[in-house]
Formats: sequence, C-alpha cells, structure tokens
Amino acid sequence: MCNKKTLYLVGVFLFFNAMYLIGSEVSKTPPAQEVAVSAELQEKFPLKNHHAKLSLKCADCHEGQGDEPENFQMIGDEGCLSCHKSKQYLADRLKFMDVLHVNPHNSIHDGQRLYCDECHFEHQKSENMCLNCHSNDVKIWMKDTP
Amino acid sequence: MKQETVSRRDALKLGALGLAGAMMAATNAMAAAPKETEVKFDEEYDVIVIGSGFAGLAAASKAAERGLKVLILEKMGRVGGNSVINGGAFAVPNNRDQQQFGIKDSADLFIKDALKAGLGINHVEMLEVIGKRAQETFDFAVKCGAKFQTGKKPTWFGGHSVARTIVTENMSGSAIIQPMAAFVEKLPGCKLMTRTKFDDFVMSADGESVVGVAARENYRFNKKLLSDDMENTGGTKKFFKARKGVILASGGFSMDKVYRKLQDPRIAEDQDATNHDGATAGAMLKAFQIGALPVHIDWIQQGPWASPDERGFGVAPLLTQQGLFVLGVAVDVRNGKRFMNEMADRKTRADAEYVILREDPKANPVAIGTEKTFAPQIAHAVEKGLQTGVMKKFDTLDALAANYKIPAAALKETIKVYNETAMAGKEDEFKKQTLKNLKEAPIDMKGPFYAIRLQPKPHHTMGGVKINTKAQVISGNTGKPIPGLFAAGEVTGGTHGASRLGSCAIADCLVFGMVAGENV
Ligand SMILES: Cc1cc2nc3c(=O)[nH]c(=O)nc-3n(C[C@H](O)[C@H](O)[C@H](O)COP(=O)(O)OP(=O)(O)OC[C@H]3O[C@@H](n4cnc5c(N)ncnc54)[C@H](O)[C@@H]3O)c2cc1C
Ligand code: HEC
Ligand code: HEC
Ligand code: HEC
Ligand code: HEC
Repeated sequence: MCNKKTLYLVGVFLFFNAMYLIGSEVSKTPPAQEVAVSAELQEKFPLKNHHAKLSLKCADCHEGQGDEPENFQMIGDEGCLSCHKSKQYLADRLKFMDVLHVNPHNSIHDGQRLYCDECHFEHQKSENMCLNCHSNDVKIWMKDTP
Repeated sequence: MKQETVSRRDALKLGALGLAGAMMAATNAMAAAPKETEVKFDEEYDVIVIGSGFAGLAAASKAAERGLKVLILEKMGRVGGNSVINGGAFAVPNNRDQQQFGIKDSADLFIKDALKAGLGINHVEMLEVIGKRAQETFDFAVKCGAKFQTGKKPTWFGGHSVARTIVTENMSGSAIIQPMAAFVEKLPGCKLMTRTKFDDFVMSADGESVVGVAARENYRFNKKLLSDDMENTGGTKKFFKARKGVILASGGFSMDKVYRKLQDPRIAEDQDATNHDGATAGAMLKAFQIGALPVHIDWIQQGPWASPDERGFGVAPLLTQQGLFVLGVAVDVRNGKRFMNEMADRKTRADAEYVILREDPKANPVAIGTEKTFAPQIAHAVEKGLQTGVMKKFDTLDALAANYKIPAAALKETIKVYNETAMAGKEDEFKKQTLKNLKEAPIDMKGPFYAIRLQPKPHHTMGGVKINTKAQVISGNTGKPIPGLFAAGEVTGGTHGASRLGSCAIADCLVFGMVAGENV
C-alpha cells in the first residue's frame, strides 16, 4: 500500500505540475475512475487546503471503502501514513522542536504514539489535544494544527 | 435553604441523565454483571489489566515477566492516564541514594509521615508494604527501562521528614510509562489495546469469581458528555477471557463530573481538575457492583494552588507553592483581607478558598507577592507565567487592586499589618510557619507585585476499592477476596488516608501494581 501510494503521489505531483503549466481547464476534467461526488457532498466534506490544492479525490483517502460516500469510514493512522510515510518520518521532520520537548509528533508524554486524529481532522477544524492541559502554552510552542 | 435548591436541581438533572442513559443503552440500569455462560469469548489471555498507568503497567510487566499472556485495556487514545502527565517524583523510603548521602530513613519514619498527612485514618498494613518494597519496586521499574536521576541527593518534598524522593530523568511520569509499555508489548502474547473500554466483569457460572471482561473496541472517549461512562454508546463489543485474573487499575475519578460532585457538592460540573479527561469512576463502580468494598470515597484531594486562568495543572502550582505562598499573601478580593495560612496543608487551604467561592463563585482569591518570594530555581516558570498571562505583574498595589477590583485601602492595610507582624517576629493570625527570622519585610513595598488568581482543582481521589496486602479486592458480601479480581493504584482506597503526601502515589501505584502482577 505504502509503495503504491508513494508512486501515486508522484503521479499527483506530476498531474499537479502539468495542471499548473497547461492552465486551469485541465483540473475540470476528472480522472475517469473517480467516484461521482455531488457538489453537496463536496461541501459537506470539504478538504483541508493543503490536500484540496493537490486535487486529492475522496478515494485517495477512503481507498477500498466502496463508491458510496455515505458508507465511507474514518481512515485511521494507516490512511494518513499511506502517503505520509511513517511516524518516525513525521517526528524527524519536526525534530527542531524536540529541543523544547514540544514536537507534537514526538511529545514528551507520548513519544510517537498518538493517533493523528487526536489533533488532525480532515473535514472539520483540527483541534490540538495538547490544548486540553496547556491552554496557554501551545500557541508559544507550535503553529495551529494544519 | 440554598443547599437544598442545589441538591434538588441536581437530583432532577441526574434523574434526566439516568433516563437518557438507559434509553441509549450505553449501560443498562438493571443489568447485573454477565456470566460466562451468557457470553462467547472472542479472545483468551492469562491476565487482563484495566488501565495503562503506573499501576496497570507495573502489574502487566510483572505478570508478563512471569511468562503470562497479558492484555492491557486502555479506553483513551493515549497511554498512561494521569501517570503520563505526572511530575515523575517517586518517594522511595530508605533508598540507596539516601544511604550514599548519609540520610537516615526507615519504613517506620515513612509510615509516621504518611499517617500524619493522612490524619491517622490510613490503612497502615498497606503503608508497611510500600515502606518495605519501594526500593525493590524502583529496581524493577529500572529493569523495565524507566529512567531516573540517580546518584544524587534525593529531593525533599513537603510533609516528608527526610529527603527521600527520586525524580525521573525528564521530570515526567512518561519516563516510566513509555518504557514499561514497550517492555510489555515486546513480550510474546502480550498486547496493549488503546481506545478499548472495559465495560463489565464477566463472572463464573456460580457468580462467585471474575473470569473475564466485556469491553468495546474502537471506543472514542467524548469529553463533551456530562458522563462519558453513562452516555457514550460508541465502539464494538468484545469479550475477553482471563484465565488467571483481572487487575483493575483504572485510576482516580477527579474528572468525573457527576460522581465527584456527589461526593463533594462544592465541585461544580464544569470545574476543571489537574487530571486527564479519562479520570472517571465507571470502572470502579463496576467493582462495587460485584461486591467490592468502598473505602474513603469522599476524600477528594484538591489543589489549592491552581489557577482558573489556565487549564489543568499548569504553571500556577509551581509559582504559588515555591513562590507567592511562601512570603506573599492570599486575599479575599471582596474585602482585601487574608483568609488562610498560605502554607497550611492542601485540604485546609482548599476549604478556606471554597468558603469564599461558595458565597460568590466569581470571587476567586488572589495570591500576591514580590520578586524575593520566588525560589531561584523557578525563574523559568516565572517567565512562563507572565508570558502566558496566568501571573500578572503590577508596579503598584493600586494598579493590582484596580485590576482585581480589590478595595485598595484595605489591601494596603492587610499587607502593612502582615509585614509589620513578620518583622516584629510575632506569629500572625494564621500561624504561618515561613515568616520566622526574616530580617526584612516579606512583601517588598517597592514592588513590582506579582499576582495569581486561585481556584481549587480536584487532584487525587483518596478513596476506592479495598484491597489486602496481596492486592486482592475484598468483597463486602463475604469479607474475603473476590476470586480472580485484583486492584492497584488510585482506584484503591485507604492507603493514604485523608490526604496523600506528594510523591507517594508513584510508590503506591508501582508497588501494588507489582504485587498484583506477582499474585495473579
Ligand atoms: C498533574 C499531576 C501530577 C502528579 N505528580 C505526581 C508526582 O510527581 N508524584 C506522585 O507520586 N504522584 C503524582 N501525581 C499522582 C499520580 O500521578 C496518580 O495518582 C497516578 O498516576 C495514578 O496512577 P494509576 O495507574 O492508578 O492511574 P492512571 O495513571 O490514571 O491510569 C488509569 C488508566 O485507566 C484508564 N481507564 C479508566 N477507566 C477505564 C475503563 N473503563 N476501561 C479502560 N481503561 C480505563 C484511564 O484512561 C487511565 O489511562 C500527579 C497527578 C497529577 C494529575
Ligand atoms: C493521498 C495521499 C495523502 C493522504 C492519504 C494524506 N495526505 Fe496529507 N498531504 C499529502 C501531500 C502530497 C501533502 C503535501 C506535501 C507535504 O507537505 O508533505 C500533504 C500535506 C499535509 C499536511 C500539510 C503539510 C504542511 O506543510 O502544512 C498535513 C497537516 C497533512 N497532509 C496531514 C494529513 C493527515 C492527518 C492525513 C490523514 C487524515 C493525511 N494528511 C492524509 C498527501 C496525503
Ligand atoms: C498532538 C497533536 C498532533 C498529532 C497527534 C499529530 N499531529 Fe501532525 N501536526 C500537529 C501540529 C501542531 C503541526 C504543526 C507543527 C508546526 O509546524 O508548528 C503538525 C504538522 C503536521 C504536518 C506538517 C509538517 C510536516 O511534517 O510536513 C503533517 C504532514 C502532519 N502533521 C501529519 C500528521 C500525521 C500523519 C499524524 C499521525 C501519524 C499527526 N500529524 C499527528 C499536531 C499533531
Ligand atoms: C486527505 C484525506 C481525505 C480525503 C481526500 C477525504 N476524506 Fe473523508 N475522511 C477523512 C478523515 C481523516 C475522516 C475522519 C473525520 C475527519 O477527520 O473529519 C473522514 C471522514 C469522512 C466521512 C465520515 C466517516 C465517519 O464514519 O464519520 C465521510 C462520509 C467522508 N469522509 C466523505 C468524504 C468525501 C465525500 C470525500 C471527497 C469529497 C472525502 N471524504 C475525502 C479523510 C479524507
Ligand atoms: C491531560 C493533560 C495534559 C495533556 C493533554 C498534555 N500535557 Fe503536557 N503536561 C501536563 C502536565 C500536568 C505537565 C507538568 C506540569 C507542567 O509543566 O505544566 C506537563 C508538562 C509538559 C511539558 C514540560 C514542561 C513545560 O511546560 O515545558 C511539555 C513540553 C509538555 N507537557 C508538552 C505537551 C505536548 C506537546 C502535549 C500534546 C502532545 C501535551 N503536553 C499534552 C499535562 C498535559
């Protein structure tokens, strides 16, 4: 799964680049295999900017969950990590925050153990769980949870 | 009068909740614990541990080390409950570092200290086990990978008659929790399941012994509910068989909005605590349901050093205990007067604050002091307190008084009398012990003045199920251990009596966790 997704990602990037070069019309042509998604659904399940601008499709995340959006389930850590590699990789990317022990991906309390959805949500505002107890510190420690 | 209206309203609210709960069938109001003849087990283990804090992990590590197959159930997404946010201070009576630095200690001295803080209602036989086995337990934790600052003089905690506390490497319980969780998970056949909630004990056909548990996988704790235990219907039902026994290590209930208020109606439902969100009473209540004896349930230790201007434990406890309370004053904002000995024990101070807050829930008392009251080693916290706005700094008492709407003249008079009494070497009206032999005024009239608003926060629930020295849970029906059921940690009661001394919870949880893991 990991490999396939990594490859796919490259595809996405190429597609994205191509789009960028050719112009905006291309993005209006959905890939053939894509599940039909009504505007209503898209509004009900908006994507985060960082994913929307990659033109991610529902099935990129809800992979293997059929083609009925009503039946989609949460995608869990594995879902996120199928593109974002591993918890170790994510922890390393924010390693500079370890100095003050405030790396959300390698916390002083939890190491790398936390579920992504303790903080990140896709179709709603993310909510950093550290805020539960560090109401005043988090804004000093790290950025808003993307 | 006032009290009566409060309790009537509560009765209505609780009644309503009970009804809603029953309708949603999160838990059935009438249900007895299921029997093994009524369920089909999905998986089988030797030992099932409920909770992944110090007590649960010590029990699991010991049992797993003995070669048993262990399953740990944790309802939260996070491992370690209160243990993983704890300050990492572990009282180890008669430890090697004490010996190395010539500090004389003994199990008896430890028991004497604990009894004094516990107002003499402690179960002494439990303290004896801690006194005897703390060093050995410490060594076991180290063997499982826990990291401590050793080879140096132990730390002296309030209420202890000698320095006997050893602190973890990162000053957090996580330096014990993370390696111990990894220790268990590495052993063959052992597993830790997060987001899996224990619901019920499964009893033998004759109803006498605990032989397994009912739980829900993929459970998401919902902190927005008044009672997650009663209302949350999420997750998928699973039955787990425990061939040797079940160890209850579900921690305290300082965050249980409903149950803590039943014990102490001063604790409002929306009141913050120092604990993690999952510190609720549900699992303990299931043990009561099958006959476990309750002990000291309404002794809830509250931190009088906390602030309403931050969530959870925060930075205020350090800034008051090693700062404002030492040489400064705490005043009632309505009249500018002192109302307690700022250095009294936790209960005395929390009670004094509640007298004010029950009259006016918005009139949080304010602690006031000057630079010299802060211990040098908390300089970083002073900075953090100011930066985050929990503590405020004022050039004059007038500015301070105006900010908190304290009558300025009265406040100045209070501080004047306080300073004069201390400098005259006289005992003040509250018999504060830190004002002796001062050569200068405890509050420096030049300023600047530092202030923090105060709010007691539930911190540790002293009560819980009764266990014996083998960590077996005692039945109120037979007066004997309930076969197959063990417990350890904050979910047990009696050990610390009315009030737990700082750094004794780790000792209690790890020692009796280990004992449970030995005996199961
Ligand atoms: C901020 C703070 C600082 C502290 N500092 C110190 C200190 O420095 N020294 C000291 O000695 N003590 C300290 N204490 C006290 C000490 O940390 C606790 O008493 C101790 O952690 C309790 O450990 P435990 O294993 O009994 O419970 P916990 O560590 O709370 O673990 C219990 C676990 O059981 C889980 N659970 C509950 N119900 C269920 C269920 N139905 N199904 C599945 N799982 C369930 C909970 O989610 C939790 O994770 C501190 C406490 C706090 C809050
Ligand atoms: C189909 C592949 C894919 C999946 C699945 C996916 N992402 Fe992403 N995500 C990306 C790509 C590609 C980027 C942009 C490149 C980058 O910054 O790594 C990105 C960016 C992000 C960013 C912003 C990075 C920044 O620099 O601000 C966050 C946060 C993020 N993802 C979180 C998640 C979470 C949480 C999940 C699981 C719910 C998830 N992603 C699932 C592909 C994916
Ligand atoms: C404790 C809360 C928390 C958890 C748990 C968490 N994150 Fe994050 N994440 C954050 C915050 C906060 C940031 C922004 C950090 C910053 O830049 O200050 C972030 C940034 C990111 C980024 C962008 C930075 C980068 O490395 O590219 C990605 C991608 C990401 N998270 C993915 C994940 C995934 C996947 C998981 C689960 C494996 C996860 N996060 C778990 C809080 C969290
Ligand atoms: C970047 C990954 C990602 C993409 C792309 C994505 N989702 Fe989701 N989806 C999630 C995550 C993560 C959740 C869990 C809830 C949340 O985070 O908001 C979720 C939850 C859902 C749920 C609810 C499942 C439940 O049990 O609550 C539905 C329905 C859903 N998504 C539909 C869609 C639709 C329709 C699309 C396309 C328009 C889409 N999703 C695209 C990640 C994604
Ligand atoms: C359930 C409450 C709780 C949660 C949630 C929590 N912490 Fe803490 N944390 C504490 C307590 C209590 C302390 C010790 C006292 C203090 O310093 O505030 C602490 C201490 C710390 C410290 C060291 C002291 C300091 O202030 O520098 C850091 C760093 C920290 N936490 C980071 C985090 C991060 C990052 C998260 C989110 C992944 C998090 N915490 C989530 C309760 C919590």
